[in-house]
Amino acid sequence: MKPDAAPAQGRLHPITIAVREMAAIFGRMGFGIAYGPELEDDWHNFTALNVPEDHPARDMQDTFWIKDQPGKVLRTHATSVTMRKLEEMAKNGIAEMRWINPGKVFRNESTDMTHEAQFYQLDGFAVGPTGTVTLASLKGTFDRFYREYFGQNTRVRFRPSFFGFTEPSVEIDVWFEAPGGKGQWLETAGAGMLHPNVIKNAGLDPEKVQGFAFGGGLERLIMIKYGIPDIRLFHSGDIRFTYAFDQLTENSKQGTV
Amino acid sequence: MKVSRAWLQTYFDTPLPDTQALSDALTFHAFEIEETVGDMLDVKVLPNRAADCLSHRGIAKELSAILNLPLKTDPLRQPLPYRDIVSPYLTVEIEDSNGFDKLTAGKCLRYMGAVVRGVKVRPSPSWLKEALEAVGQRSVNNIVDATNYVMLDIGQPLHAFDAKGISSILVRDAREGEKMTILSGEEYTVPKGTLLITNAGTNEAIGIAGVKGGKAAEVTAATADLIIESANFDGTSIRRTAQVLKLSTDASQRFQNRPSPELCAYGIREVLALIQKIAGGEIAEVVDEYPARPQESWNVSVSLAKMNGILGSRFTKKDVADVFTRLGLEVRVDGDTFTVTPPFERTDLTIPEDLVEEVGRIIGYDKLQATELPFDSAQGKPDQACYRGIEKIKDELVVRGFTEISTQSFARKGDVVLANPLDKSKPALRKSLKENMREAFERAKYAAPLVLPPNQKPRLFEIGTVFTKAGEELAIETSEPVSDLPKKIQNDENYEPPQYRLGAYQPFSVYPFIVRDIALWMPAGTDDGLTKSLIQENTGELLMRLDQFDRFEKEGRVSLAFRLVFQSNERSLTNEEVNGVMERIYEALKKAGFEVR
Repeated sequence: MKPDAAPAQGRLHPITIAVREMAAIFGRMGFGIAYGPELEDDWHNFTALNVPEDHPARDMQDTFWIKDQPGKVLRTHATSVTMRKLEEMAKNGIAEMRWINPGKVFRNESTDMTHEAQFYQLDGFAVGPTGTVTLASLKGTFDRFYREYFGQNTRVRFRPSFFGFTEPSVEIDVWFEAPGGKGQWLETAGAGMLHPNVIKNAGLDPEKVQGFAFGGGLERLIMIKYGIPDIRLFHSGDIRFTYAFDQLTENSKQGTV
Repeated sequence: MKVSRAWLQTYFDTPLPDTQALSDALTFHAFEIEETVGDMLDVKVLPNRAADCLSHRGIAKELSAILNLPLKTDPLRQPLPYRDIVSPYLTVEIEDSNGFDKLTAGKCLRYMGAVVRGVKVRPSPSWLKEALEAVGQRSVNNIVDATNYVMLDIGQPLHAFDAKGISSILVRDAREGEKMTILSGEEYTVPKGTLLITNAGTNEAIGIAGVKGGKAAEVTAATADLIIESANFDGTSIRRTAQVLKLSTDASQRFQNRPSPELCAYGIREVLALIQKIAGGEIAEVVDEYPARPQESWNVSVSLAKMNGILGSRFTKKDVADVFTRLGLEVRVDGDTFTVTPPFERTDLTIPEDLVEEVGRIIGYDKLQATELPFDSAQGKPDQACYRGIEKIKDELVVRGFTEISTQSFARKGDVVLANPLDKSKPALRKSLKENMREAFERAKYAAPLVLPPNQKPRLFEIGTVFTKAGEELAIETSEPVSDLPKKIQNDENYEPPQYRLGAYQPFSVYPFIVRDIALWMPAGTDDGLTKSLIQENTGELLMRLDQFDRFEKEGRVSLAFRLVFQSNERSLTNEEVNGVMERIYEALKKAGFEVR
């Protein structure tokens, strides 16, 4: 493209700016960036991820289903991309993988300041030969991610949790100190070690392959970092939101590795 | 699940630590705490533990393991007195469409019924009232309270019927259009196939199985004889019924999490003992229909190496054995391998990884040493080519003055339609970004004076997924045509997207704004910057934005033009108000020697 009459620069959406930071941080830890369909099939969104047939998450009041296309859903998490990547791993005989999957997901729930029917998730996973990718490496990965994204004062802690696709499962909290404010622990993501059924469903051998997976609201991380009170601002199409931040610098220092 | 510290204390000889310490212990080793109020903790029991932990006994057992305090008594480990008594007084029959022969698990997995004669229904003793009220329950009478107490204590839902006129209970599917009045007096038409508890003699429904008791056999002050139900119903069927009837109860919440049917026997033992203590009466008999008896016991094995290999820990055999002892799990150690025989209520322990989780959480995830994954960038760059290709296009548009927006994926019309839209006016998925762009651009034109300099018109772009008959794809949309914009986004593994640093979010006002322009001749000896600050000083808080948009020199004099945008964070401004501010500015400028044009 040739530039035309040199207008002032436009601006990127805060999600784009955040994803760039995250892509760079995870890139330095060897993670690629994967995308997958938003209109998913039941297998990749639920069944393969060890969500049983009669699980409440499949109910109409939680998940958007598609008219005249039984078995199709708007993905409720970007973990469906993880499933697709694991299948690729089995098909192509790949020994290890690390990907983050930033993308839009959908939940059939009423909206308020902290809930939207559509939002972004930062999902991701790392797998390798048994014993190489552990819950301790999940902690190490998030320790670094949050220190580089939120600042060096950040700390990470795990609490027990439950998800069908991981065992053990944890919640990841971050200790965040807002500029001039006092610090607090904030819940940021769900994670755990991929359930052996998920590894099996991908066509891999859980005796040989093991890894962690994580996922959490992307807007939430941005809201924490910049003090944004309402998630509904993000996808309102309102330019006042894109301009509601001082753009301090454009870092010429390049992102990855 | 609301639990009280005093109730939990009944499980321990040693005094429990304070509520905050209990809250921390549970938070970091078992379950999140929704809130604590005085002595009460609202525990958010995880779905895989709701089979055994929606009870004070379950939470006490967790605390026992976490705090390493032995339980004084464990009701689930006391031998059972009743076994398969065949009754001359009460018969129970299960006729359930999913499992008509007793070998198939149907919707009713077990039904125990006990007949108690000659009870005195009266208000509960104060200890019982207080125990229930401490966890937000209402006291009704000693019989109803006894059933609730035992449910909250060990997790088994129970129900008491007035036995008058009932000698035979039939558990059956509801017929088409069958009506039933529940205890609160509300009448429900239950969907066909809903499991009902009925009086076989009259064919009348006396309860919606696993959800709510019926008015027809309500225990009142006049009740003398009781039938106590301690049953187990299929989780899926109970969940559906509770959902359809919009009737979520303490009982339905427990059944939908599939507690072991073994628990029924403990429930009936506990409740009969309590009723005899506080309401007297004589236990005439206990019936037990048990079509879905589970396997007696099962084993789960895991090696120490596997455990440390998943957690990334260096726990010893002793560390692990200690966790199993504290959890009260029966374990056999064979070399490096632990074989656990879970007690009946721990239905969640089925695979080796479940045991890994028990060890990890009880020892504490804070004991895991954070370890980074090894990565050598020399071995090749991670694949970010698709992402980089998208970012490249965004940057090309930003350079041309376009600002990025993000809009909703739902639309009024489209090729793909939702079966269950949230917003009925937008039931489809967008097939292009055009409609949202038009709307966003209209709003951007309106909001432009707030965010853009006066000479700049808004230009917008969006990159987002659209859904057509052919499938979904990533589309690019701009608010005005861009020459030679690529139709398709190409991967680009080498593009390095620039990083931006943003300041804190500055909330914007939702109230209308008012724009005023001012042009003036500068007196000699002033400069543009001074002029600007002079205007700023005289406007006050309502000035949202001030831009200089014109400057020219004529006959040795300099003319400047400014645009002022006024807006309040709290209300709509009036023209008069803004006129007042402008007057103040004119005055100040004149005084400083400016000539307003």
